[in-house]
Amino acid sequence: MFTLPDDQFMGLTEITILLIAAFAYILIVPGRWRGWVLLVGSIVGMYWLFPVQNIRWLEYGLATATLVITIVSWFITRPTGKRARKFTNEDRLVVVIVVLMVLAFTFAREVDFLDSLISRPPPLPSVAMALLVVGMLLVLMLRLPPRLQMTFGLLAIIGVFIVIRLPFLTTAAAAFLRQNAGQDASLAAPIDIGWLGFSYVAFRLIHTIRDRQSGLLPALSLREYLTYVLFLPAYVSGPIDRAERFLEDDRALADTRLQDPHRITVGLSRIGVGLFKKFIIADSLAVISLSATLVDQAGGAGSLWLMLYAYAFRLYFDFSGYTDIAIGLGVLFGIELPENFNRPYLKQSIAAFWQSWHMTLSNWAKSYVYSPLSRSLIKQRKLSNGQIVMVANLATMVVIGLWHGMTLPFLAWGLWHGAGLTVHKLWSDRTRKWYRGLRDTPNKQLAWEITGVLLTFHFVLLGWVWFALPDLQSALSTFSRLLGGGA
Amino acid sequence: MDESTVRQQLRDFILEDLIRDPDYDLEDDEGIVSSGLIDSFSLAQIGVFAEETFGVYIPDPDLTVAKMDTLDLMVARILRDKK
Amino acid sequence: MIGWDWLTDYDYDWRFILRVIAKAALAFIVINLLFAVCNLTWWVNQISIYNGLVPGRERLPYGEQAEAYNLTLDSLDAMFSTHVINRPKAENEFRVVVIGDSSVWGVLLDPGQTLAGQMNALDLQMADYHYEFYNLGYPTLSVLKDLLILERAVQYQPDLVLWLITPESLHRPSLLDAPLVQRNADATRTLIERYGLAIDPNDTRFVPELDFFGRTMVGQRRELADWWRLQLYGFDWGMTGIDHVNAPYDPLTNDFSEDVSWHGLSPGDDLQSQLALDVLDAGRAITEQAGVPLYVVNEPIYIADGENSDLHYNIWYPNWAYDTYQGIMSENATRFSDAYSSPWDMILPEHFTDSPVHMDPEGTAQFAGALSGAMMGVLFP
Repeated sequence: MFTLPDDQFMGLTEITILLIAAFAYILIVPGRWRGWVLLVGSIVGMYWLFPVQNIRWLEYGLATATLVITIVSWFITRPTGKRARKFTNEDRLVVVIVVLMVLAFTFAREVDFLDSLISRPPPLPSVAMALLVVGMLLVLMLRLPPRLQMTFGLLAIIGVFIVIRLPFLTTAAAAFLRQNAGQDASLAAPIDIGWLGFSYVAFRLIHTIRDRQSGLLPALSLREYLTYVLFLPAYVSGPIDRAERFLEDDRALADTRLQDPHRITVGLSRIGVGLFKKFIIADSLAVISLSATLVDQAGGAGSLWLMLYAYAFRLYFDFSGYTDIAIGLGVLFGIELPENFNRPYLKQSIAAFWQSWHMTLSNWAKSYVYSPLSRSLIKQRKLSNGQIVMVANLATMVVIGLWHGMTLPFLAWGLWHGAGLTVHKLWSDRTRKWYRGLRDTPNKQLAWEITGVLLTFHFVLLGWVWFALPDLQSALSTFSRLLGGGA
Repeated sequence: MDESTVRQQLRDFILEDLIRDPDYDLEDDEGIVSSGLIDSFSLAQIGVFAEETFGVYIPDPDLTVAKMDTLDLMVARILRDKK
Repeated sequence: MIGWDWLTDYDYDWRFILRVIAKAALAFIVINLLFAVCNLTWWVNQISIYNGLVPGRERLPYGEQAEAYNLTLDSLDAMFSTHVINRPKAENEFRVVVIGDSSVWGVLLDPGQTLAGQMNALDLQMADYHYEFYNLGYPTLSVLKDLLILERAVQYQPDLVLWLITPESLHRPSLLDAPLVQRNADATRTLIERYGLAIDPNDTRFVPELDFFGRTMVGQRRELADWWRLQLYGFDWGMTGIDHVNAPYDPLTNDFSEDVSWHGLSPGDDLQSQLALDVLDAGRAITEQAGVPLYVVNEPIYIADGENSDLHYNIWYPNWAYDTYQGIMSENATRFSDAYSSPWDMILPEHFTDSPVHMDPEGTAQFAGALSGAMMGVLFP
């Protein structure tokens, strides 16, 4: 079932610290240093927020791996051919800084007060060895031609993603890592590997690789690329920004007026609203939200419906609250992150819902799954349009579902929404003209709009059952009990 | 291919294959997707049409409501990439 | 920012920000003052979804187990506002209030398995009246704590008070060990004064009175947070009926040493002075004033059969102390109660759980049956 990750890693303390950092940044940091501060701050922040893992040194290892993967990804997404960018001095400087930071963190184990900052890094010699090995692998990979590099990069990122999300693979990897660390491999479990933020990092990296392949990606320096991928307010749970958009803000940072009352008011207000939504509304609803435990304990259908409604709103307020905080912090730092939510539960169709819920994710899926898949199927002319719509919708929603977690309930959730979108598309194709005609009868139109909102909301509501329960059986039994049947 | 040919071919395609209403009076600056006349699947169809008819490949991230909502925007995009 | 036009459209300047900060600071100060001066926490505690939106709790909230949808409060106001007793008496209701320690509250028992719960299940009727039992037991052994609860209980128009006691709860030096007593110092001191109890009102165990800052909203934040959580848990209570999660426990000690001291006393020492009979007297005074009969019961205890069990009944009570206590109690019974009985050895050892007075559901059922019979005998001799 879906657990909201940001709860434990971006709590009130962390947000307060980031707020203080933001104000120090606004007051002290001169324009041309801002980009660098964001970069260094995001790297430090990533190591700081990374949760302690069951496997020794893994939090350090995974954070460092994120850095390495991002740097490699930058390298393979540089423009090639006639407009090839040279490896500039700034890029080299960034690499040096990153390597120094990575090595410096190992000293945190010697210095007491840094211990709370970065927990238990491995000893220096191990790290140096690992870096060397990784470096050699990279040199080998980078001898490939650019197109193969990008394909390899995509497959590697997707591969890592699958390993850390598909439970039986995660357990196998955990067993391997446990053995390496001299710990009991028989205790290996998926929970051993909690790679904070990787879901989002992976999608950002894939987006840059794909955009390089289609020629959309502008040339980014290493500093810009790293900052885009690791930008701290958005690191833990998004939004999934686009590099092109992020670049605009980042390049304008030196000239952006940060000590600006409008910016500060908007930023702080977003954060304030987010804090209220997340820590008051969402956390209160959490007590009565649908969960495996409550479902077991509770009695009849009435209780279950109450819990389901609570879950739906808890999920919305928690995630949108977190996003508000992330966007608010971004604004203070000078980066205007994209929105993730736009009154999703008030939309009249499931299609409109998906244009207003976790928008950055659904836009990503539309650009990199739905659109290319549709186009290639249309070109092949083997399937009818209706069939293509069905395949594309199912595939896209399955990807989104499995991105949340690679288990059967998430697959079911994806199929649920894919089916809903398909049915909606087929319906709306047939009724488009009629619906336009409704404009002449505003009362009838209003009635249809309200019906649409209620239908859409309840369709999504029932879909959350897949999200909230940990396995198919409990989800199915919950459905049955919601509709008045027995367990 | 000049601008008016592109515009006419695109208009015909939209009216006949997408909106399925040849008599509809489509304005050049009318929001076709945002008003609900066509949806995102139709954008994919336009993408294929642009490839096959004009030889212009519009990358997927650009086949969005924001960038391709009106006939004007579509024509401008196709002409831009044809150069 | 899609959907945030209301925020971004306005033109903000520094003066705006300063005005906001000033107004917020002012509001903050005013609210805090209101709390300190008008005791707003009391008003907040009157707001309760229990007995309205959700059913009332069948026992006072206790226990910091989030998975039990329960928490421990200090405020008697808040505790009682969640309890099911907080409802108007039905026309033919004979209201019985059961007061006591953790055994009455029902550690390791579900609400329906507690003494009051089992007695309700017996569905007792007499003439036109239907007997309803209300569980006002609360953990820790202290008759002074019981007195605090009793003082409130009589405000709910009971027709009978059942007060279960045991020597440990009468032990005078230990009376103030109960957290509920320590944290309700004001109410306790009032009782000490009114009934002339032989207890030091300046005992250091009392939690010091709140100063001004402690009474502000910020100072009351714990109480307010507890109130909010309690309301949320109310939904869970209503939906699941869970207010306690059973934890595994160790079996009772069955073997003892030869040492027969009880709280530093040896056979032949003056036991009576160590027993807070004046608190029982105060209880009687309270119930008399309210016109309610008081039936005091010496609750069943675990009787061991292991090593040196001829010297000890159980880990709490050496034989001599308990027997002396029994004598004192029966001698003085008419003073502090309208009726007294002592079914101390009624329940077999196998029905006790993790403490010499905690019974399992079966033992509690037996006790409930016997007690209801005795109660009827007392009411209708």
